[in-house]
Amino acid sequence: MLTDNYAINVAHLYGDLMNTYGDYGNIIALNYYAKQVGVTVNSQLISLDDAFNADDFDFALFGGGQDYEESIVAQDLPRISSEITRFIENDGPMVAVCGGYQLLGEYFLLADGTKIKGIGALKHYTLNQSDNRFIGNITIKNAETGEEYHGFENHQGKTFLSDNERALGTVLNGNGNNGTDKTEGVIYRNVYGTYFHGPILTRNGNLALRLLKIILLRKYPNVDWQRKLANITPEFF
Amino acid sequence: MSCLLGNMYNIKNNIALGKEVVVMSLRSSLATAAGKSSYWLLHDILHRGGTSLPGKIATKLDPTVLKTIANKFDFIIITGTNGKTLTTALTTRVLREKFSQVITNPSGSNMIQGITGTLLTANASKSGVKPLAVLEVDEANVALITKYIKPKVFLITNIFRDQLDRYGEIYSTYQKIIDGIKQAPDAVVIANGDSPIFQRDTLKNQKIFYGFNHQPMVGDIKAPANTDGILSPTDDSILHYHYITYANLGSYFSTTDNFKRPHLTYAVTKLHELTPLSSTFDIDNSSFKIEVGGLYNIYNALAAYAVGRYLGVSNEQIHTAFDADAQIFGRQESIKVDDKEVTIVLVKNPVGANQTIDMIATENADYSLMALLNANYADGIDTSWIWDANFEKLHATNIKAVITGGERYQDFNVRLKMAGFTQQSVYPNLADALMAIKAVPTKKVYIMATYTAMLQLRALLAQKGYIKGGMGE
Ligand SMILES: [Zn+2]
Repeated sequence: MLTDNYAINVAHLYGDLMNTYGDYGNIIALNYYAKQVGVTVNSQLISLDDAFNADDFDFALFGGGQDYEESIVAQDLPRISSEITRFIENDGPMVAVCGGYQLLGEYFLLADGTKIKGIGALKHYTLNQSDNRFIGNITIKNAETGEEYHGFENHQGKTFLSDNERALGTVLNGNGNNGTDKTEGVIYRNVYGTYFHGPILTRNGNLALRLLKIILLRKYPNVDWQRKLANITPEFF
Repeated sequence: MSCLLGNMYNIKNNIALGKEVVVMSLRSSLATAAGKSSYWLLHDILHRGGTSLPGKIATKLDPTVLKTIANKFDFIIITGTNGKTLTTALTTRVLREKFSQVITNPSGSNMIQGITGTLLTANASKSGVKPLAVLEVDEANVALITKYIKPKVFLITNIFRDQLDRYGEIYSTYQKIIDGIKQAPDAVVIANGDSPIFQRDTLKNQKIFYGFNHQPMVGDIKAPANTDGILSPTDDSILHYHYITYANLGSYFSTTDNFKRPHLTYAVTKLHELTPLSSTFDIDNSSFKIEVGGLYNIYNALAAYAVGRYLGVSNEQIHTAFDADAQIFGRQESIKVDDKEVTIVLVKNPVGANQTIDMIATENADYSLMALLNANYADGIDTSWIWDANFEKLHATNIKAVITGGERYQDFNVRLKMAGFTQQSVYPNLADALMAIKAVPTKKVYIMATYTAMLQLRALLAQKGYIKGGMGE
């Protein structure tokens, strides 16, 4: 078979600290679909003290962590936050789950009231509900595409979107960002933020293929990825 | 109300038969009697394990009942997220080699009610020497128990991520255990020295560590991205390792300060042979064999060894104890299904699943794998942990067929599909899955099942006559 050497480079941001609920599955899913169109996925861990150059990567995953690890990551983030922001503003595709999603925003409050600054690349903010967690299965629907996404949410934080952010979807059942405004997750440029464990790309093949197309078109704009990806069967559960 | 009357009737039987009679407050003694007789009813009349219910009745009547019976035993409390059941069974065996009276609680009865039930129904001392009570205690129940019971020894196996939707983060699980230990400052803490989290406390208790010293302390590696609990307790830098046994366990050290793994009083010094059914290894340069596979079970054996040695059990006696038949390793049992040799392994979190995968990888014969996933409360309602387990590794083994089933068969099916398995058969119905086992191309079959899936499977196997009835304990 004649194949060009297509490859995408994934930055797994703080993958050894922010890795609590199968977030790595997002990379497994991406790899599963990419392989079917002859694309290799190379994943690199970017952790405490590691350099991050936005130009080196085609996709970034920023997973969720335990509170403790999240606070350690928050301390290290200012070191690379301008580079993450540059990646995002250059339309770099990214999936941010739970803690990663919170940390992309302005700030979040811990259970004890401590305010942890995010990198502010996105403008949402996260409050804390002291005696409650949103736990359970969740279904949302994206208003523009009509696609439905299924997941499992488990979070104490209540996130509120800013005016320049769209929700990833409207909550059909479950709690979503904050349990009140029926939004779940965020879309900003090519960043997809979410509270879905599951992890989101393994359970929602439609979203995985949508994202893969964005990644591939951005890196290899002259290839007809639309056609290549059309033959792939998306997985759901 | 009527069951209380029935209980009153049975109290007499208990006393008449010479079971323990304890002097205590009237309220407490009624509580004890009520608890004991409901055990009596359930266990002796219905022939079912009812160890949790009598305790529930007893603690409802009087929560201090535990205190009244607490001074009648010397306690060893065993806790941790993984391996406490087997460690408790092994420790009990080891101690029985030296001590004449050692009682223990059945697995599954590791919360305060079950433990109360166990103690209420135990025989009192025959010799005037306090019996030993080896108790498996749920992590979140340690502090509840040590409010009334001051143990001689705490044994902590490990703390891994375990169904966080129920238990919370590893640090809060750890804190719950520490809070319990703090109520018993005279107890000795015997803990896994290979686990960095156990260096995070400020306990006054005497501490003894066990671990693996089977490799030279050279090398400088980091744990894979999917590993939890790898921050140094001194400055939150990422720990490095000379070697890793599994997950975040190993010979760790900091590159930013002098923090490193503590001295190991008891250590595995060599690994000889690992198979799915047995492990041969040295502890402190003396050879041991256990009839169960998996590196994690060597840790469990080492933990039991550590408690035994600490309490004066000899090497030879521990040898004898480890020579137990495989039955005590109930969570990894082998069953004959017609001409198939079926091994069932309980999985509940990524560390456990990875250890099971590593264990199956030591299988030399061709085998088939059945993966059964449920997501009920007892399984953990979030199934996302399956993505943190390295099923990709199975490609390098003699795997010939894959079957997925359980209530969440779709989750597992996609997981294995994305791990690169293409031919797996999928059975939403457990009875069909069991039938499918008979048709696999191999003699050996491994079944990985979550808790309620395992119970359902066992019930089905019992119904079909492949195992004896009942759920077991
Ligand atoms: Zn989360």
